[in-house]
Amino acid sequence: MSTSNVKGVFAHLDLLMTAIDRLDRAGFEKPVVTTPLPRHDVEEALYHGKPSPVRWWTLAGALTGLTVGITLTSFTAMDWPMTIPGGKPLVAIPPYVTIMFECTILLGALFTTLGLLFHCRLPTTGLPEELKDPRFSDDHFGLFLAGLTKEKQSEAQEILTTAGALEVVPGGRSE
Amino acid sequence: MSNLTYGQVTKDVIRPLFTPTKMYFITLAVSVSALMVGAYCWAIQLMNGLGVAGYEPPVMWGVYITTFVFWVGIGHAGTLISAVLFLFRARWRTGVYRASEAMTIFAVMTAGLFPILHAGRCWYAYWLFPYPNQRELWPNFKSPLVWDVFAISTYLTVSAIFFYIGLIPDIASVRDKIKGTGKKVYAALALGWRGTDNQWRHYMAAYGFFAALATPLVVSVHSIVSWDFAMASTPGWHSTIFPPYFVAGAIFSGCAMVLTLLIPMRILFKWEDYLTIWHFERLAQLCLVTGGILTYAYATEYYIAWYSDNPYEWGTFIYRPTGDYAWVFWIMVTCNCIIPLAWWSKRMRTSLKWLFIISIFVNIGMWFERFNIIASSLAHMFDPGAWVYYLPSKIEMGIMFGSFGWFFTLFLLFVKVMPMVAIAEIKEGVRPPLSTDEGDAA
Repeated sequence: MSTSNVKGVFAHLDLLMTAIDRLDRAGFEKPVVTTPLPRHDVEEALYHGKPSPVRWWTLAGALTGLTVGITLTSFTAMDWPMTIPGGKPLVAIPPYVTIMFECTILLGALFTTLGLLFHCRLPTTGLPEELKDPRFSDDHFGLFLAGLTKEKQSEAQEILTTAGALEVVPGGRSE
Repeated sequence: MSNLTYGQVTKDVIRPLFTPTKMYFITLAVSVSALMVGAYCWAIQLMNGLGVAGYEPPVMWGVYITTFVFWVGIGHAGTLISAVLFLFRARWRTGVYRASEAMTIFAVMTAGLFPILHAGRCWYAYWLFPYPNQRELWPNFKSPLVWDVFAISTYLTVSAIFFYIGLIPDIASVRDKIKGTGKKVYAALALGWRGTDNQWRHYMAAYGFFAALATPLVVSVHSIVSWDFAMASTPGWHSTIFPPYFVAGAIFSGCAMVLTLLIPMRILFKWEDYLTIWHFERLAQLCLVTGGILTYAYATEYYIAWYSDNPYEWGTFIYRPTGDYAWVFWIMVTCNCIIPLAWWSKRMRTSLKWLFIISIFVNIGMWFERFNIIASSLAHMFDPGAWVYYLPSKIEMGIMFGSFGWFFTLFLLFVKVMPMVAIAEIKEGVRPPLSTDEGDAA
């Protein structure tokens, strides 16, 4: 079976947005769009406001950190129970808040990093060659559609060309 | 920035990576020489023991702890600019945040050396970390010094992650521009970043969370550092005003250091379009606010000491401006409270020369502030029979000098290998190329 793909290079943001919109209307799957900077309009057009799941990683990390902070401080104090004069508690919460807070922040940040790497699939060398275009980190926008049939490929080429792409490069491979 | 294009931004920011100037090498040589002075002094201390550090009971904290607090404080402005101003969407942050974040990382790395230097036997530095000893005894988590280890380690880790994540898209830009063996290094560091919609989506979400996690650190780290002092019953230290007073001082000194670093960079790399007078003026205004809070805190400290009716506390506060350390106190007041008032004048806030000169005074003043707190309190505690006049030894001063060499060397090396202005973020402030524009903007 052979799969075909199309890469479009855009010099102008408005033309890229037009292409995304027309592909969506024509019933194409979500394309991969590359931009040299984060563009909220592109994100909105492709994901329709669906938030990134990275936030759950942050929450999980922060809660894990808080638990680590509580257990580390209290369990180690109880592990060597000393009689503290003046009726002061063995497990004293106020001085432990500092440790709990720091652990919450630290593990929250570490888990967020893991979440980011996981969802972005980083580090990677596996992205399609068509996306490895040096112009996409500079001043051009890229749009890539993969897994197309021959007919869909021609239709996509047509849409990208009429939308005003600077280059439209068809590609594909036999498997 | 309105006339810039995306392509121009990439080109301008990456340019210094390829064209080292003579001035750059001279500055680097001076920094490395200072670092060598510090390394030499440390070698002497390692061979002879902490006696060479000039400690004289009861003054067992001196220049090392002073310089530790100084460098931790410097770091704060970086986090304030990168995280807090990001959350508040302050546009002026964009041009200066990368350099400020780099400053934070290197300042905290410099600060981190001092507890190790101060403890003497650096090969036991791992004792600082929380793990049980051979009798299964854990560190006392009620101790402010243990809090400090947690605070500084967390701060360094979170700042470093935040910094690196912010760099990834820019490293990818460098990778795509550069040729030769360096390309492989940048490619590895960019982790395969291609700026796809999926990557940006998660990236922006994560970046927001990093900013939200780093923001409370701006307040907490120096509060915890201040508790190293405030939790002790030493006169002049045992005060609830210390956390806000330290945080304001930290941001004040950090913003001044950002000015000290960025003004020469603007000239050296011809970044007039990116580091504008407008940016520097904002920093000077931030210094004015935090400097005002600091001056108020100095005054409040006196009120608290007087109102407490505690003779030891009041004695220390009288001793500071009139005793052996009066020169330290008055350098502090002059540099932190009086000289920065010049920034109330717009002319002073918009002149690169004066911004730079005043920022140097603030740096000096803030180092003396910490010395004033530490030395004058310890040298003049409860028992008059134990009063001493501690002055830093040559070795201590050499190591302190060396720490500046270490900081500037790291910073200068970094400038050479990484984009010091955030390319992707600057592009966010540039009008995107549109087909309706006249001519081809791209």
